[in-house]
Amino acid sequence: MGTVVNDQPRVEVRTRSYPTRASAERSPLMEFEFAVNQRGNKGKPSMAEIAWSTGDIRLALADLPPIVPPRVRREFQRLLLPWPPGRYVEAYRRSGGILNLFTPPWDEKQDEVWNKLLAEWKAKTFADDSTKRAALSELEQQWNDTPHPFFAGLTPAQVMVGGGPQEAKLAEEFLTQVERNFAKREFVGEGDALIKTLMVLRGWQVEPQRNGQTPMQIITAERNELLTHRARALAVRKP
Amino acid sequence: MKFKRKTHEQSTPAGYRQGIRQADEVIAKNDVEIRPDNWQQLALDWFSPHEPDRSELARYIATHQDRLGVAWAREILRLQVFFEAQDYDRIVEHYDRAFRVYSRCALVELWVAGYIMRTSGDFWRARQMYLNAAAELPFFAKPHYELGFMSYLLGDFPGALDQFDQAAARVADDDVELGSRIFYNRGLVRFALGGDRQAAIADVETALRRKPDYPQAKEALRAFRGKLRWVPW
Repeated sequence: MGTVVNDQPRVEVRTRSYPTRASAERSPLMEFEFAVNQRGNKGKPSMAEIAWSTGDIRLALADLPPIVPPRVRREFQRLLLPWPPGRYVEAYRRSGGILNLFTPPWDEKQDEVWNKLLAEWKAKTFADDSTKRAALSELEQQWNDTPHPFFAGLTPAQVMVGGGPQEAKLAEEFLTQVERNFAKREFVGEGDALIKTLMVLRGWQVEPQRNGQTPMQIITAERNELLTHRARALAVRKP
Repeated sequence: MKFKRKTHEQSTPAGYRQGIRQADEVIAKNDVEIRPDNWQQLALDWFSPHEPDRSELARYIATHQDRLGVAWAREILRLQVFFEAQDYDRIVEHYDRAFRVYSRCALVELWVAGYIMRTSGDFWRARQMYLNAAAELPFFAKPHYELGFMSYLLGDFPGALDQFDQAAARVADDDVELGSRIFYNRGLVRFALGGDRQAAIADVETALRRKPDYPQAKEALRAFRGKLRWVPW
């Protein structure tokens, strides 16, 4: 895993074990999402903030040191793309942060919430095509902003925005502890390891930290704050 | 993390055949001969000796009688042998290989789904099987219990509570194992959702009334009354 620092680019090599191949593969994406929301030294805006306020992804990536490989740059670019006006289907391809890191991959096919909304819309009769389209658009917004059971209660918008530094710290703590605790345990298979990891995660997310807040509360509040920053930045940019 | 098996993979055809031979030996040792005049009875006696499973399997057999028979009964008995041996991989492999030619049976899916989840971690496939079972076996508590547990794993606590409520409403008074697990888990979810300590305690007490020797429930009760720690560090 490469880490980018402003003044002195360097590569740190870390190893970590994960309960499933899918979660190991998703882990770098979670780190990239943290990285785009990470402010630089002296409060320098994050890559996401630059992209939101200027609409210029190249400018947002301008300070990345040359050591960052093209594959990683492309991932940053993808994360910084403008969000669509309709449903945030890209949320299926985001990590969802630490609360969703281990959730087995899923997409529209498994999305019982969206499929139910869509089936209800299809079953309804509308006066004309324009009303029908407007109703669909409303449903898409509803999906974007409603806590989703498969995103551990985050909304697709909260998933899209990614995690911030507080979540990054919590994720690091959690992953380190889980690795330590499970290092010598034996599991029947990937599924068994996944279940046990998820059970610990769900307990951890509701366990109050030193400040009295649970990780779930901290993560949700931080993602909401990022969404507010984004909305403000986009509002200023618009003529 | 260490795995007893590196990944869940189907064995070689020779390995699978060997497993089947071993299962057949177990069946033969029980003096069982599957014939056209006894295959239904044997399937019911071996796979689902108790209610409500027995009635459900009988209903399935009656519905699909023309496509089932001695060969199907043999596969069911082999599956039961693998269940009894708790051979996780073989259960899933045998189900996948032998039962794809037959109509889906919600009852068999209900029992196989958990093994699919624990071996390969094929969460969404298992979830669909439980959803099918919940729809097709409306009086069964188990599909709702399993869906509640899956919702909990997904971090969907309200969804988990809803499923555990449905399971609690359906579970038989004398179903000690499932009943105690339903109430214990519902207590934990209630607490996780909003810290409703009294409701959580009441559920865990119900679990303990159903199954007095339930160490996790005893521990949870102590934790609810004191300072609860969810994580093992």
